[in-house]
This record gives sequence, C-alpha cells and structure tokens, in this order.
Amino acid sequence: MIVSLEWLKNFVDIQETPEQLAEILSNLGLEAEPSKVPSNLPGVIIGKVESTKKHPNADKLKICEVNDGKNIHQVICGAPNVSDGQYIAYATIGTTLPGNFKIKKVNIRGEESFGMICSERELQISDEHEGIMVLPEDLTLGDDFCLSFGYKFLSVELDITPNRPDAFSHMGVARDIAAATQRKLKQMDTKSIDPKQEYNIDISIENEIECPRYIGGIIKNVHVEKSPEWLVDYMKSIGQKSINNIVDISNFVLFELGHPTHIFDYDKLKEKNIRIRKANSGEKIITLDESNLDLNESNLLITSGGEPIALAGVIGGINSSVTENTTSLLLESAYFDPVTIRKSAKSQFLSTEASKRYERGVDPNGCLKAFCRVVELICEITKGEFVSDVVDIYPKEILSKKVVLRRSEIDLILGYHFKTEKINKILESLEINYLDNNEKWECTIPTFRPDIEREIDLIEEVARIAGFDLIPSDENIYGTFRYQMPDPDNILNKIRDSFSSFGFHQIYSNSLQNEKESNISGLVPIPMLNPLNVDMGFLRTSLFPGLVKAGNYNIKNGTKSFRLYELGNVHQSTGDGLINIIESQYLSGIIYGNKIDTSIHEDESPETIYDIKGVLYSLFNKRLNMNVKFDFGDNYALELVQSISVNNNKIGHYGRLSEKFIMDLGLEFDKDIYGFEINIQPIKKMMNSKKSFKKINLFPKIERDINLVLKKEQAVGEILELIHKLGRQLIIDAQPVNIYTDKNAIGEDCKSVTFSLIFQHSSKTLEDKDVNLIINEIVNFAEKNFDAKLRA
Amino acid sequence: MSLLDKIDSVKKRFLADIENFPLENDKINHIKSSYLGRKGEVANLFLMLSSVDKSDKPIIGAALNHLKKELNTLFQKKLEENSTSKKNKANSLIDLTLPGTIQRYGSKHILEQTLQEIKEIFTSIGFHVAYGPEVDDEYHNFSALNIPEHHPSRDMQDTFFIDPTTILRSHTSNVQVHLMENEDPPIRYIVPGRVYRNEAISYKSYCLFHQVEGIYINEKVSFAELKGCLEYFIKRMFGDKKKMRFRPSFFPFTEPSAEVDIWDEERNQWMEILGCGMVDPAVLDNVGYDSQQWHGYAFGMGVERMAMLKYNINDIRLFYNGDIRFMSQFS
Repeated sequence: MIVSLEWLKNFVDIQETPEQLAEILSNLGLEAEPSKVPSNLPGVIIGKVESTKKHPNADKLKICEVNDGKNIHQVICGAPNVSDGQYIAYATIGTTLPGNFKIKKVNIRGEESFGMICSERELQISDEHEGIMVLPEDLTLGDDFCLSFGYKFLSVELDITPNRPDAFSHMGVARDIAAATQRKLKQMDTKSIDPKQEYNIDISIENEIECPRYIGGIIKNVHVEKSPEWLVDYMKSIGQKSINNIVDISNFVLFELGHPTHIFDYDKLKEKNIRIRKANSGEKIITLDESNLDLNESNLLITSGGEPIALAGVIGGINSSVTENTTSLLLESAYFDPVTIRKSAKSQFLSTEASKRYERGVDPNGCLKAFCRVVELICEITKGEFVSDVVDIYPKEILSKKVVLRRSEIDLILGYHFKTEKINKILESLEINYLDNNEKWECTIPTFRPDIEREIDLIEEVARIAGFDLIPSDENIYGTFRYQMPDPDNILNKIRDSFSSFGFHQIYSNSLQNEKESNISGLVPIPMLNPLNVDMGFLRTSLFPGLVKAGNYNIKNGTKSFRLYELGNVHQSTGDGLINIIESQYLSGIIYGNKIDTSIHEDESPETIYDIKGVLYSLFNKRLNMNVKFDFGDNYALELVQSISVNNNKIGHYGRLSEKFIMDLGLEFDKDIYGFEINIQPIKKMMNSKKSFKKINLFPKIERDINLVLKKEQAVGEILELIHKLGRQLIIDAQPVNIYTDKNAIGEDCKSVTFSLIFQHSSKTLEDKDVNLIINEIVNFAEKNFDAKLRA
Repeated sequence: MSLLDKIDSVKKRFLADIENFPLENDKINHIKSSYLGRKGEVANLFLMLSSVDKSDKPIIGAALNHLKKELNTLFQKKLEENSTSKKNKANSLIDLTLPGTIQRYGSKHILEQTLQEIKEIFTSIGFHVAYGPEVDDEYHNFSALNIPEHHPSRDMQDTFFIDPTTILRSHTSNVQVHLMENEDPPIRYIVPGRVYRNEAISYKSYCLFHQVEGIYINEKVSFAELKGCLEYFIKRMFGDKKKMRFRPSFFPFTEPSAEVDIWDEERNQWMEILGCGMVDPAVLDNVGYDSQQWHGYAFGMGVERMAMLKYNINDIRLFYNGDIRFMSQFS
C-alpha cells in the first residue's frame, strides 16, 4: 500500500523526507520504501503558457511562449493538451530530470526550444504521459515546482504483514508513527448524521456469524461528476486513478480509515430491501468489472429482492453500480467475518482492496465512523442529502478483548527491563486502555487491533514501538550439553571431498521435472496438484536427467569434457497418500570426454568405463575403507552395466548411459557418457565404523609376473579372483598389467594376459620356494578350470 | 703369469671397459659387479693371495689393496662424469617456460560450502543439526506452526500441493515440529534442507531453495539471547565489522518477530538476510510443550541468499544449471 506524506499530515506531524519516514516505518514493522516521486527537482519551476502556435515544420508540435514570472521563453511542446493560459511545470535549461535526462537548448525542426513542459511521468509523479501536467492557477510563476506543488505527491510504499489490518490506512500508519516518535495523534472528528424518515430501507441479515454488522442509509440528489482537484491529487498521490466523485469518496475513506464501504445505485435496486445471505450454487453475478461469476456456497451475498447485488466484502455487482446518471445512493458500511470473506474471495480467485482488508479483519466498531465520513463527504462534494434513518443492524456487539500484561513476562521474554513509564506510554499511544495493578497491566484492546489477543502480543507491541535496538544482545550461551554427533551429515563430507579430488564438480539440479523425465527411472513419480508449469510437474525419481542436462548445458557452452556429480533426494510413490511417499538420498555422477587433454607433455586420453569403475573403487575401497564388489546388474539408464555392492549390500550401478536413455531426454552427445547411481542410505550407517592402526609390514616383498594364455572370452576378473583365493593371504596385490593378442604367436581366439603379483608374509621373509609353490598352484588350477596355458 | 701380472692385466681390462662408459644402469652395474663385486675379478685376485709365497705376500697384498682402491676411485669418477653428462644432455631439453601438467580438481557446490560454513558456526555454539522430509503434511508445515487454514498468512508462502493435505514443504520449520513432537525440551537445533515455493523463476527467485532454520527451547530464553546468537552468526559469516539491524516483522510462528538486515556497502542499502523471533506460545502448545514453562527462539535463512550476498552472485539460477564456468570459481 502507498501512503502519502501529505495525507498522513492530517493525523500526525511529519517533518521527515520520504527516506527518513521509510526508515521509521521499517523499524516499526511496517516495511517501507520511499516511492520514486522526487522530493527535489532543481530547475523545474512554475510556468505559464502565454500563447501557442503550430510548429511550421511539424504537424504535432506546438511552439509555446512560456512565462517564468520574469521572462518569456520559446518552448516546443508535442503534448496534445497544451493550450494558452495553462500553469505548467517548466523544466528550465540545465535541469536534470529523473532518469538523468538533461534539459538543453535544442533545435527541433528549425525552431529553438528553451526547456521543456513536463508530463507527470517525466516528473515521476505518475505514469501519465499522454499530455503535460496542468497545474492550479493559484501558484506563483517562477516558484520551485517541488516546493510549491510537487510535494503533494511524496509517498512511501508499505509492505503490510497479514497481522496488521489496522495499518492498511493512513490513520493506522499515522498512529504507529505517533507512537514511535511520541508525537500527538490528531483524531478525526466526523459529523454525526441527522437521521430522516423520508425514505426507508429494510435490512436483514440471514447469516449473523458471517455478517455481524451492517449499516445502510440512503442519499438523494447526488451529482456524479469529476472529483474536485484535492481529491484527485490525493488519489494520484497513492497511485490510484480518479474515477468519479462517488467512487473516489468511497476509496478515499477506505485509504483514510481502512474501512471499506460500498455504494449502490438506490434506484437500480429491484426492491427497497437488503438481505445478506449465503449464495446458493447455481446463482450468478456480473461484477463491476464485468466478470461473470458462478457463485458457490462459500460466497456471501448482498441481495435485493432476492437477487445478488454484490459479492459481500469483495466486489459489487454491475446491476446496482453507480454510473454518471445515478442520483440516489444506498451506502453500505459493514463488518464481515474474515474467514468468510477469505474463503469467498479465494473461491472466485479474487483479491480486492476491500477483500484484503476484510480478510485480515477490519474494525467492527469502526463501521459507523466510516459511514458518517462517507456521508459527510458525499453531501459536501456532490450536494447529496441524507434522507433515511441510519439503519445499523448489529445484533451482538463485538466487545474489546481484555489481556493482562505482566512485568515478569516482559522481562523474561525480551531479556531487558523496560521502565514502567515507557510501557505505559507505549500502551497509551496505541490507544490501549489499562489499569495498572502493581506492574500488571489489565489492558482493554481496541477492536481495530484484532491481532492483539494474548500477553505475548502485547509484549511484541512494547518491543516494536520501543525499538529492537534498545534491547541489548546477550552474548552468553545457556542450556545443557548433549552427547550426540552435532551433524549426522558430516560423514558425507568424505564423499564430497573425494569427488572434488577426483575432478568432479558437484551440481544442485532442479527437483521438479516434466512427466517424461520423472518417469524415466520406472519408479512412480509424485505429481504436483498445482505445478508451476508442465516442465516442473513432478518430483524427480532419479538424479541422472539433471546431470545429463547439466552436461548438455556445458557442452553447449563450449566445455569438451566434464565430471559431474550430485548428492540429493529423489522421491517415489508406492501407493496413496503421504505414508507411501519414499524419500531417498542418492549419489550419482557422470563423466564425459577426455580425462587428459592433449598437451605438450601428454597425449589425450578419453574417459572410459574403467575410469568410472576406478573412481568408485577408490572411493569405497581406498577412501571409505569398505569392501566394494562389482557384479552383474541391470539399470534403466545404463548399458554395459555392473551392480555395485559394498560390505555385501547392493547399493547401485555403474555403466555406460544408454543411447535410448539419452534420446528419451531429447538429447544427443558425440561421445559416450559413463555414469553411476548409488543409494547412499545403507552406506551412511557403515561410515561410522572405527578405523584402527595395522602394524606396517617390514618383511621384504617378492614381485613376480606370470603370463597366461587365455581364451579371448575368458573374463580376467575370474582369474584375478582365483589368484587371490589361492594366494593364501600371501599375495597382497595382483594386477593384470598387459593384455596381448597375436594371431600367429598365440592363436586366433586367445589372448595373453600378464599378471603382476606381489607376495609378502606378515611374520617372515618369503623365499622363492614359497612363492613358486603358489604360482604353480595358480597355473595348474587355471589350466584345468579356465583352459589357460602358461606362456614361457 | 705371476699374480702381479694378473693385477696389471685386470687393471688394463678395467681401464678399457670404462673408457666407453655405458649410459644404461644395468651395464654400469655389470661393470661394477664383474670387477668390484663379491665374485668379481678383484675378489678373485684376493682369493689367489693365499697361495703366494709368504715373503711375497706383503708386496702383492699392498699391490692388491692399491688396485682395489684405484679401481674404486676410477669407477666413481667415471660414474660422476657420466651422470653429469647425462643430466646435461637431459637438461638441454627442459624448457621451464613450458606450462606445467595440469591436475584437474573438482568443486563442492557453493551452496554446499556455504551451508557447511553456517553449520560450523552454529554447532560451535551448541546447536545440533537435524534433517527431515521434503514432502510433508499440511499440519506440520502450516497448522502446527500457527498458520491456520483460512488465514492470509498462508499467502506469505506459495505452496506446491501433492494432494489437498500433502505438500512440498515451504520451509524447514516442519522438521522443528517433528523434533518437538519426538523430543522433550530443552532442545537446540538447526535444520537445513531443500524447500519449495510456487514462484515464477527469475534472477531473484526459483521454485526451490535451501533453508537453514534454527530453534532453541529452554525454560528461560530471551529476545536478547536471540540477538546475541544471530549477531555472532553474522559477524562470523560476514566479518565483525558488518553493520546489521533487527527490524520488527511478522511470522505466524514467532512473536515478537524480527527481520535482520545487513548493510550492503556496494548497493548502499539494507539487505534482508534472515527472519527470526521468539517461538509463539501457540506453537509450543501445539507440540505439547507447556508454554508457561518453556520459551524459545527460532530463526530462518536462505542459503542461496547468504551465498549471493557473500560472493556477490547476482542470479539465483546460476546455482542450479550446473555451469562449470560458475562452479569452478568455487573450487
């Protein structure tokens, strides 16, 4: 909401600039920013258009003689509304207008122009730029524009929190300013109304809980016309367009007191009665803005002769709206239940100035004041006459709440002892009456503050008005120790650090995906009822799509190789409801391109499937000290795939991303992508295992190579397993170091594999004969069971 | 041939062999072992010493010792010459103006790093870290936190619904509720995690972000302590010269509520960085804590916002598109 400084001044003294006022308001909990209306525009002065004539070389331009009080200047102006005798804002040569627009002497199609006649947009007063801003004629020529007129539009913009309906008006904002600055709040006196009996309106409320109060009255002989200048300026100052005097008055009171009123064209009412009731399904209303609404049972209606004439507290109907031909009015000032209006407005996807205030809670006891204020202004401005009784249906008066505020609680909650006198002053400035009973304030809360219901609400008011700065910081740590791990996630840092050192970049990708991506894993994804768009309708079931898309993004930006991983949650549904939603933490990664690029020192070396396998082996075996095994496996995204098990728990897969998977994502890559996917839940438990030092073995190692000729299809891993099995704990490492094929030397369907074995005993020096024994056993076994031959 | 002649002959052959001193280590070792090794020629000569006349022994013995010394010296000299020439030869190929061989290094995501920093600061003053579900019921995300169903405060967070009562959490405060339901006070936790908002994506907002919420419940807890705690946090996070302010605000689950701003020198304005307040008694009552006995404070912050302010990042989308040009800046 925008509040105007000039308007606020009706209620409280304000010396501050918009910036200073915004600071004061922000520190009160009414978050504020100065609006862009400038408080100072040196060089822009009051001028008068003495004469205009058509520009000889341009149809749409006029040559104006502008009087600045001393001299006459020639100014070229293109505004359609410029005419003789107007008082205008004249930007003289040398002026800098907002947006760093410097005014210089210019030549426009052969005619010189000394300055500019400004529009409201150029002065940043409003967005109006069709024509120039025309000023009242009582201004003095040559005076500074901002000081003599522009100041009227200074304002600040507030972001009102939902708990503060009272601050949705100039009166309410002024009250807070007065409280914080200890200035006097000028209350508004409204003229009381002389009830008359010339006309009668019958008002009845069917739903008293939804509509606890309704005031109505009739005004005759109004003249609907343009609002007076002061009212137009007030509306302009808070960014509202002036409509006509009747609508403007209702809006004016809304922004002044925070209480919505509604005005019907009395003559358009079907019957001269008003009934407030819930809508029946099937009923319809066409609103003021000409939308056709299908009503439902959550809507509360104002009806006349049975027909809806307004959606209560939200918007009026067109069938009863005020037009320029209107002469008689029915004025409504009511209090509606906040929840009712919220449900009603929400069900129609509407939010209006009125509904915003009603759903937060207006003052039920402020209805009459707003009513009187509107009547007063209508009679004054439109020459209307109030001709009926003030019909006030208020079956059950809503009383002020009583709340006790204790000194002990203030001190405990705030951790600071405010002086009693200070607390008294704050309560008084907020119009909270109290009985001071030995540091126990028995408070009566005004009904315009529905947010204050409990002691804690009053403690907040004390702290808020006094200012949080007054409360000192307590730099002690109190409380108890707990003997538990401060952060259960810390163990995952080993994984993150490992991946950094392996050259992987960690990504965070969007958990919201489209239907295809989220279905790609074969798990059932969780759809959103209200997705942001079709591309983000589901929770991800896999981290692969995000990784592959990130890879694609990087390739498009010129990256040729990447290693990426993500550690994040995926979700799947295994049935109905929350209880069947499974959240799992996954670790996935992909590699692509070269692991070594060509350089002057090295030849390029592409990423292979063995790199991803080696990364996983290094992570689990070397870094996490776990027993990792790879075996047959199957995965939705991978081909050439193996499963990964650590300490005998199957945790995931690695392999080459299949062409189909990448195509399903709508992507294409020149080279193979290798990746892995791991559910880390089971690993987390294992990661707490304690490490203990093993004595370093100082006995000498013996290195031996053996060359076995194997059938081409023979898996080398099986031979390695055999070597370890027969190694009797003496083989501490066995690696295949060379695979060699040669049709002539070895045979067409054979390969020669060299294994490098390292032997070491834990308690003695090994001799050749110990080693030879084992090697012979390995060779014999391999010859028998794997059709292998020892190669000389 | 007399032994002295043999000595002479061995010396001649040795000199010939080292004249063309080999470059390969195994050949060098071969020369050394065949003359100076345990079974080498010199050792053989010493063996023969036992069979010479007793009278000749001193002279021949001295000659043998001399030979051994001389051969050793000559071999060492050659070896040194050789290694210098080898080095010189190799050195002439080394151009230190060539670039080094690059070692690749990855990166932890800047949000991960920022979160780590936040966690370290709070655990250093007695907080524990807890985690909880991203998908939760409407009760734990809203109602238990004093956000009634038909109240405008629900509009403060645009929420994704799975069904009318199941949502993607809009803050990690849902975990606070779970914690308090399961644990007796006193408690002191921070809760990091991913949260979701149904907001249009732009440079300053995304459909998800990461939050860290904190909660401390004890018998006596004051707003003054809350201020002390968060001032400590901000000074450690942004430096102890950082200007900050506490400004009243509204959150349904805290009262009094405050927003904390820090002064941004570059933008010359206050920047909102976190929300906080004293835990609303209604929240305590909802989880079965006696609000007359227990009090507490709570706070919440966005990890993205912290990182953006700390590292001058101007577009929130950079965190999620996996751009290596962005990520490698934080290796």
